[in-house]
Amino acid sequence: MFSWIIDFILSGLPDWLWPAIALGGFATYSFAAIIGNFPAFKPYAIFIKPIGALVCIGGIFMWGGAGVTAMYEEKIRDIKEKIALAAEQSKEANAKIETKIVVKKQVIHDTKVVIQKELVESAAKIDAECKLDPSVPVILNKAAKNPVGTVTVDVQK
Amino acid sequence: MKQLLAILFLTVILTGCNDDAKSLARMGFPEVPKDLVIACPDLAQVDPNTTKLSEVVDTVVNNYSTYHECREKVNNWIDWYTTQQKIYNSVK
Repeated sequence: MFSWIIDFILSGLPDWLWPAIALGGFATYSFAAIIGNFPAFKPYAIFIKPIGALVCIGGIFMWGGAGVTAMYEEKIRDIKEKIALAAEQSKEANAKIETKIVVKKQVIHDTKVVIQKELVESAAKIDAECKLDPSVPVILNKAAKNPVGTVTVDVQK
Repeated sequence: MKQLLAILFLTVILTGCNDDAKSLARMGFPEVPKDLVIACPDLAQVDPNTTKLSEVVDTVVNNYSTYHECREKVNNWIDWYTTQQKIYNSVK
């Protein structure tokens, strides 16, 4: 949370601030170096010079940091765009699959209806010529029953 | 001035709850078509007391149809997975 607040504050600063601070520090350092040549200002120059140098170094450091952050922000923006595109493609792919499911389901259902209609038409003939042994439905039902329906597989071992 | 500072502080704190900050650049799990997450039904059973072949054939026809639907479901799962994997791998 704390680092995020720092990021938030730093990202809100204008781009020109850090180079301006670095330049200001350099200008202060140069100015102190010049006035240091005058004996009257020498005590002040000794004090101002390191401050100017520190401000300049700090400004350059933060300028570099801001550049790196901007680079990563650009990368994040690119990835976000790619993700948005992928999400759109994913939705389109799902829509295609859903359409395929509906069409194929309908074809399967229609085929079943046609076959059942044929069966109804031929049922009397089929039943007249063939009488089933009572074991047939029992055997068929055994085969139709899911053999793994009651089995629990323990995969923890 | 105090009010302004309070508003600024609250803005900073509450903006931290923004989804954008949480999911900086994260891809969500793709949706699955609803039909694919419905389990395949059990096969239909023949009336054990029947002696009519037509009734047996009718059940077999129903079960074939169930099989074809389930087969399509599995094929669509494969299709969904392959497509989504390609899309996922394109985000790098």
